[in-house]
Amino acid sequence: MDTAVHPDIEGSLIEALKQGDSTAYKQAVRDYSPGMLAVARFYLDHSSAEEIVQDCWVTVIDAIHKFEGRSGLKTWLHRIVANRCKNKLRSSKREVATDFSEGLEPELAERFNATGRWEVPPKLQFHESADSLMENGALSDCLDKHLSALPETQRSALMLYEAHQHKSEDVCNILDVSASNLRVLLHRARQKIFLMVETFQETGEC
Amino acid sequence: MLMCRDLAEIASDYIDGELSGRQNLSVKMHLMMCKDCRTFIGNLRASTELLQAHSAGHPDEELLRRIDERVSEALKTRRPRDKDDE
Ligand SMILES: [Zn+2]
Repeated sequence: MDTAVHPDIEGSLIEALKQGDSTAYKQAVRDYSPGMLAVARFYLDHSSAEEIVQDCWVTVIDAIHKFEGRSGLKTWLHRIVANRCKNKLRSSKREVATDFSEGLEPELAERFNATGRWEVPPKLQFHESADSLMENGALSDCLDKHLSALPETQRSALMLYEAHQHKSEDVCNILDVSASNLRVLLHRARQKIFLMVETFQETGEC
Repeated sequence: MLMCRDLAEIASDYIDGELSGRQNLSVKMHLMMCKDCRTFIGNLRASTELLQAHSAGHPDEELLRRIDERVSEALKTRRPRDKDDE
């Protein structure tokens, strides 16, 4: 995993955290907070997410002794954040129903004819690089809008897997879903993002 | 034979290399013959890659500073108790 810290370095960092070494905490806060904040943002608005991440670090001080290193430190931290967010949502809002149904998004399914061939094929090749596309502020805003419209678990699955490059088993672990349900979540979320980007490329509108 | 619609239904698993050998082969065969599906797979890939670029944002220094403060406060109050434990 290219985003993972080298095991030896991670091992000595964890040791230092267990000792309560404040320099180690400063380092860890810098290394791991961006990912933790991103996880929290799947569930919560910006300021609540920042709040949760702060609280989690205090939790870490008490819980790090119990960390056995079966999962990586990043996965462990992300799971703490996800659980806390879920608890917060549970206490404040309705439980979000998760759609694990397979198949195609209606908007995509309509584009095939009765024989299963493309009736309305994808027209344009998305040729610009991801980085240059993201310099387009309007696209970035549009992506934000569509991501926040995705059902919570679809969004979380997509972001953990795609944006934070967690392994499938870690995502299943963090989100508490089965491997086959993760496949469905990714499948559905990707179709929606694909449709959004296509519309944006064709019309310049969100 | 695998139709375009069938391919769209398993496209996500194909991208992640999660298909069985036989399914994977039939997708590859289809892609060789079908330009529309090549475009579709390419675009599906590209749109998910966007997410990696999109989420590269960083929390601001202000938040990190606030966390440092809370952590060092928490460490101060916990350290004596930990020493008693040992
Ligand atoms: Zn095709």
